[in-house]
Amino acid sequence: MLDFFTIFSKGGLVLWCFQGVSDSCTGPVNALIRSVLLQERGGNNSFTHEALTLKYKLDNQFELVFVVGFQKILTLTYVDKLIDDVHRLFRDKYRTEIQQQSALSLLNGTFDFQNDFLRLLREAEESSKIRAPTTMKKFEDSEKAKKPVRSMIETRGEKPKEKAKNSKKKGAKKEGSDGPLATSKAVPAEKSGLPVGPENGVELSKEELIRRKREEFIQKHGRGLEKSSKSKSEAPKEKGKKAPRVWELGGCANKEVLDYSTPTTNGAPEAALSEDINLIRGTGPGGQLQDLDCSSSDDEGAAQNSTKPSSTKGTLGGMFGMLKGLVGSKSLSREDMESVLDKMRDHLIAKNVAADIAVQLCESVANKLEGKVMGTFSTVTSTVKQALQESLVQILQPQRRVDMLRDIMDAQRRQRPYVVTFCGVNGVGKSTNLAKISFWLLENGFSVLIAACDTFRAGAVEQLRTHTRRLSALHPPEKHGGRTMVQLFEKGYGKDAAGIAMEAIAFARNQGFDVVLVDTAGRMQDNAPLMTALAKLITVNTPDLVLFVGEALVGNEAVDQLVKFNRALADHSMAQTPRLIDGIVLTKFDTIDDKVGAAISMTYITSKPIVFVGTGQTYCDLRSLNAKAVVAALMKA
Amino acid sequence: MASADSRRLGDGDGAGGAFQPYLDSLRQELQQRDPTVLSVVVALLAVLLTLVFWKLVRSRRSSQRAVLLLGLCDSGKTLLFVRLLTGHYRDTQTSITDSSATYRVNNNRGNSLTLIDLPGHESLRLQFLERFKTSARAVVFVVDSAAFQREVKDVAEFLYQVLIDSMSLKNTPSFLIACNKQDIAMAKSAKLIQQQLEKELNTLRVTRSAAPSTLDSSSTAPAQLGKKGKEFEFSQLPLKVEFLECSAKGGRGDPGSADIQDLEKWLAKIA
Repeated sequence: MLDFFTIFSKGGLVLWCFQGVSDSCTGPVNALIRSVLLQERGGNNSFTHEALTLKYKLDNQFELVFVVGFQKILTLTYVDKLIDDVHRLFRDKYRTEIQQQSALSLLNGTFDFQNDFLRLLREAEESSKIRAPTTMKKFEDSEKAKKPVRSMIETRGEKPKEKAKNSKKKGAKKEGSDGPLATSKAVPAEKSGLPVGPENGVELSKEELIRRKREEFIQKHGRGLEKSSKSKSEAPKEKGKKAPRVWELGGCANKEVLDYSTPTTNGAPEAALSEDINLIRGTGPGGQLQDLDCSSSDDEGAAQNSTKPSSTKGTLGGMFGMLKGLVGSKSLSREDMESVLDKMRDHLIAKNVAADIAVQLCESVANKLEGKVMGTFSTVTSTVKQALQESLVQILQPQRRVDMLRDIMDAQRRQRPYVVTFCGVNGVGKSTNLAKISFWLLENGFSVLIAACDTFRAGAVEQLRTHTRRLSALHPPEKHGGRTMVQLFEKGYGKDAAGIAMEAIAFARNQGFDVVLVDTAGRMQDNAPLMTALAKLITVNTPDLVLFVGEALVGNEAVDQLVKFNRALADHSMAQTPRLIDGIVLTKFDTIDDKVGAAISMTYITSKPIVFVGTGQTYCDLRSLNAKAVVAALMKA
Repeated sequence: MASADSRRLGDGDGAGGAFQPYLDSLRQELQQRDPTVLSVVVALLAVLLTLVFWKLVRSRRSSQRAVLLLGLCDSGKTLLFVRLLTGHYRDTQTSITDSSATYRVNNNRGNSLTLIDLPGHESLRLQFLERFKTSARAVVFVVDSAAFQREVKDVAEFLYQVLIDSMSLKNTPSFLIACNKQDIAMAKSAKLIQQQLEKELNTLRVTRSAAPSTLDSSSTAPAQLGKKGKEFEFSQLPLKVEFLECSAKGGRGDPGSADIQDLEKWLAKIA
């Protein structure tokens, strides 16, 4: 069933490989490495390459990668478990060989893993066969089960009502103080015991919800009174801890699955997060009840309470933590990183990185670091920061050689013009930066033909005409042996842009221009007819370079713009490999100070380089991107 | 107590002022002639000295003993690395990180070098080059001779970067361009590769100097490669660049079939 299973070190050495079919596994695995692992897209651990699905797992402690590949059409349920099993066994069996830093021990070690693997594979396959008549997915497992929790909270109007109710009932807990917590606590009850079928939970009406809550409160109230006297002595210590409520009617529903109590983001410090979760998980079915004394308190009180346990815990484990920190060999777990990653993600978003991308980046960094052994004197924060910084530099490093001048020289030798098309949404500075780039080309001794293919916006042609006049004043023909260095090719307004571009290219070929810069009309990414027109222009004229002009001010919109432009170009292309955006011009860079997130967003989506950066109004305000400077600005607090 | 002490030492190496109240209390306790305090202090000093000594030894050893294997993706760096170390053939994948190992040179002195295989992928190579270039005693730039015609621009660009970087170092490393994959029939010879690279680097010099300046204003003018106003040749460089042909793959699985004797000789020479 499996096509292959391979284990290799991050240094690139294949340690052991199982071949189910005769095809080589090198190609797909290399594709996986290049397009997932090296692009920081390691959020979820599967990847599709041609007819194969690849799943992988990283072992960051020993720097190993486990990859399994199988046909896309198969749905193999046991693959995840198989990878985990193989990972565990391999690690335990060859611990001595893979522990060393030097690659020599990897090379000399013999990894005779075939029998073990076949055994594990057989076990996995059999276990999946036993389950063959698949039981229907339980409601709790489905995506839907998670949804209503969130979607039910948001009704803001409900909160005050609830609060009022709480205060009415004297024994009520500080339930209503926070939306998400309140409802998430209510959910287990709904799911496990009460006679309402789970599906109904999805479309619970507001009244029902309130009624349900009221019942809960009554129950809680009663139980709380009888228990509170018992737990009085420990109450002060436990103050503020959130224990999962367990209902007597609740049956044996899995508490951990149903525990949706995510930490509050407003007020409660992130540092307390991991401990809090552990505490919640740790409490037995008896459950410590919350202190009755702190009745429906305000937000501030809740925040204060939640800080307390973390600080007491800190001093308790302080001594050991310190020693452990000194001795080193502490491997990072996801819980350790969670708070730091949250902070980093917020930081990135504050720096104008698109939100989805910040999430994906942090996810990928977490994947990369999980299980890694930290250095002796490094903290979690510094390790995560370092890894994130490396990832950012990696993203900004061009995946494709961009040397426009070199390519123009090539085209010159072949006696044909080099065509560059500019596209982008309205008002990002296409024409302005086109003029800057033509100035730069003129300075380097190439002649430029500007094709005015913006036949829509009033004054677009006149704008280019003014630029042309100025540029030719700077580079008059007399200085270049009577050769016209810059010229405008215009056909007025309202014509077909693709046609004008084609004529311009033919004209340039006849007149011996080196470069044709095609200015297109700005268009919003959602405007389908205009996007079709752009795709046509690019398909018909096959330019050497398609530059997307985007402003550095853009935030979350960057994702949408680039994705839709790329999709439009791909959808309307007839060719086997469609022409997509080749590079990005980032404009208005002087207006954003250190909020340089757009650079990351754009390169992350397209994995195309930022070719030019526009930094001002004059012709010489054109720069190339320095990855390190941008990352430094991004990481600056 | 001991752990608290050492943590302070570990945390604040640079901030001497922070120790002041601490030292005072220490002195006070010393005057009380408490033997435990004295022993703790002595122990700490010993640990500190060992650390410093260890660090010194390490830094000395790693400096200038490394041979970097550089090159584009799929040029055969990792396989060459394996062949040099073990002589066997191994399947390889695209490297994500560096791998290093001690290489015993086969000359009569029995010196050892540290071979470091760096990833060749575009998004990684400059980062790793930055990290390891200071410790380089020699650089082996691996070129895929069979795909050279197609990749010539990329090869030249990376080579340009490496040359500029290694020229700016204090002790310039020895430089070797290994034209790998000579076992393939269509492979270019070392002579031709040298000519093409010289031509390509010549144009690259022009385009690089004409490129728009980078964002940070502090960027200094990049070093000039070779002599100005003259066609570029490798002989103009302050460091000696050698070319040789090799084949890391050879016949599969057969230890003797790889053609890397020249490379081994060169490594023995520079060790």
